[in-house]
Amino acid sequence: MTYNFGISRLDELIGDIGGGTNIMVIGPPMSGKDDIINIVAYHGLIDNNAAVIVSTREPGTNVLEWFGHHDTNIPMDHIGIVDCVTRTLGFGAPDTENIKMASSPVDLTGIGVKISQFFEHFWMDLQLRKTRLCINSLSTILMYSNLPTVFRFLHVFTGRIKAANALGVYVIEDGMHDDKTIVTLKQLFDGMIEIREGEAGYQIRAVGLTPKPTPWFDYEIDGVNIILRG
Amino acid sequence: MIETGIPKLDDYLLGGIPEGKSLVYYIYPGVEGNVFGMQTMYHTVSNGRYGVYVASSTDPRMIREQFDEFGWNTDECGDRFIIVDAFSGLIGADSRERYVVSDPEDVNDLTQCIKQAMEDLDGPGVVVFESLSTIMDLCGESETLDAIEEWNQYAMLYDHAMVYNFTAWPYSEDTLLHIKEDICNSAISVGGISERVIFGQYFGILKADWMDVPRKCVLFKIVRPGGIRVYIPKILVTGPFNAGKSTFVHALSNRAVSVDRLGTTIALDHGHIDYRGFTADIFGTPGQERFDPIVKLLSGEAMGVFLVLDSTNAADFVRGKRMLEITMSFGLPIVIIANKQDLQGALTPEEIRKKLSMPTNVPIMPAIATNRDGVFEAFETLVDMVMEVD
Ligand SMILES: Nc1nc2c(ncn2[C@@H]2O[C@H](COP(=O)(O)OP(=O)(O)OP(=O)(O)O)[C@@H](O)[C@H]2O)c(=O)[nH]1
Ligand SMILES: [Mg+2]
Repeated sequence: MTYNFGISRLDELIGDIGGGTNIMVIGPPMSGKDDIINIVAYHGLIDNNAAVIVSTREPGTNVLEWFGHHDTNIPMDHIGIVDCVTRTLGFGAPDTENIKMASSPVDLTGIGVKISQFFEHFWMDLQLRKTRLCINSLSTILMYSNLPTVFRFLHVFTGRIKAANALGVYVIEDGMHDDKTIVTLKQLFDGMIEIREGEAGYQIRAVGLTPKPTPWFDYEIDGVNIILRG
Repeated sequence: MIETGIPKLDDYLLGGIPEGKSLVYYIYPGVEGNVFGMQTMYHTVSNGRYGVYVASSTDPRMIREQFDEFGWNTDECGDRFIIVDAFSGLIGADSRERYVVSDPEDVNDLTQCIKQAMEDLDGPGVVVFESLSTIMDLCGESETLDAIEEWNQYAMLYDHAMVYNFTAWPYSEDTLLHIKEDICNSAISVGGISERVIFGQYFGILKADWMDVPRKCVLFKIVRPGGIRVYIPKILVTGPFNAGKSTFVHALSNRAVSVDRLGTTIALDHGHIDYRGFTADIFGTPGQERFDPIVKLLSGEAMGVFLVLDSTNAADFVRGKRMLEITMSFGLPIVIIANKQDLQGALTPEEIRKKLSMPTNVPIMPAIATNRDGVFEAFETLVDMVMEVD
């Protein structure tokens, strides 16, 4: 059971990623991490994977629209979104087929329940054997809960990713957290996608998934594709 | 006693939680166990008692909506449903609740509010914690453990019952052990059956210091509206041709489908039962001998069996007994349905017992499936037998 990011040049360099892998995506604000994480989910969806997306900054409906907007042919019933935003805005929105509402980003217990319910649904009801979990972002969660709390939560869920042979992808804002936080969290991940600001825009590379980090690539986001240069 | 309102659990606890005692729902992460505390809260309040709900990770307005999702209207409970708001302070929001913890990260602040609420209650009630683990995350492990002891002692003074939802994140071993074994009078584990993913949920009693603990483990489901239901994944209904199996399945079920041709079942009946705190899936077999291979296929993993007999058709009783063999039901809880009691010449259950030479520990119950007469009594009997199995 293997996965690819759907980022062509990087995929070639990395080769197949084994099931049960947990990866941190770290980069500065405005570098397109939302798109990147959605694209990683998208490339799973077109390969008959399920996608569970925990959204802490965008309401679930917006995330769903992103997918509908970019490709009307993807199996929407393979998408599960845990929305941590809508209810904090004071809307009593009910759960839908695709979107389950968490009370708030503080409510890690509730978020964990919703993730597990989507996992069960995709595995048991839809018989999908490959699932991608995208948490966007850990930085918001860290604003509401302290590091040990978030560490415990991730400890459990990176473990569940392993048990389910799934792929976990977790977004972190670069520059928002102290070194201790990053170092602590890194222990939980098998590798990283790093983004930095280069001279002519943003650059991307993968770390920990190959013996040496891949080179830095300039990149551009075009719809559901990430085009690498250099 | 303060009942938990969780089906079966109150029986096992000999009525519920004695006043002044504490109970923790010890929840495996990812299992929707917080509903246990909610159900205990609502059950208590709707029985005319007082309930205090300590909200630590959800806006109080949302909490009322969460109760609503289960069909539990908190407005109807008036001022017996009290919220201690230990959430709003966290995100700097205003609160309309009477008890507000201004700094939810300060355990003393929280303690003060909780004590005040306990004092103000007009009689014994229940104090339910939405999420003890969130409090622990915010206030620290040892601070929270100390506070729990203080709260529990205070509750004893006022005869309130304390109920904690606790999600067992990987805290220190000591903390987890303390919560599971020491700090409360009773602990209920709320677990997940997992392999790759969590696909089933159960509860069982870990500890209750006022009684001998029964070693029971109960599967459950959460339904909206409704709440926690004891779940029986498979009940089998078998019996001779034309005995009334399909009719019986439909009589018991909230919804059911049958695969029939010309009035006889050729594949199966499948129904879903939701009755008095129990939910079950029920499968009816065909009766004709030529379908015996299908009967065999259908009968694996049943937790209990109904054998439906046409009480006017003694000639088929042997076939009925034979079907218990085909379905390998011996050893499982079995209830025999003496169906069609409305017809002339129907034998009584005792006459049927003689003819079948059935031992007395197999109940034989009269029924008229077409009128639903006796079907729920039979269901309750079988469920009781299933729950007795260890
Ligand atoms: N009078 C009376 N008729 C009944 C009763 N229960 C079932 N019947 C009738 O008995 C006939 C057979 O009922 P079914 O429920 O189809 O029986 P079955 O056991 O599923 O039959 P097969 O699937 O063909 O083996 C139908 O005409 C029913 O209406 C009852 O309690 N009283
Ligand atoms: Mg039938």
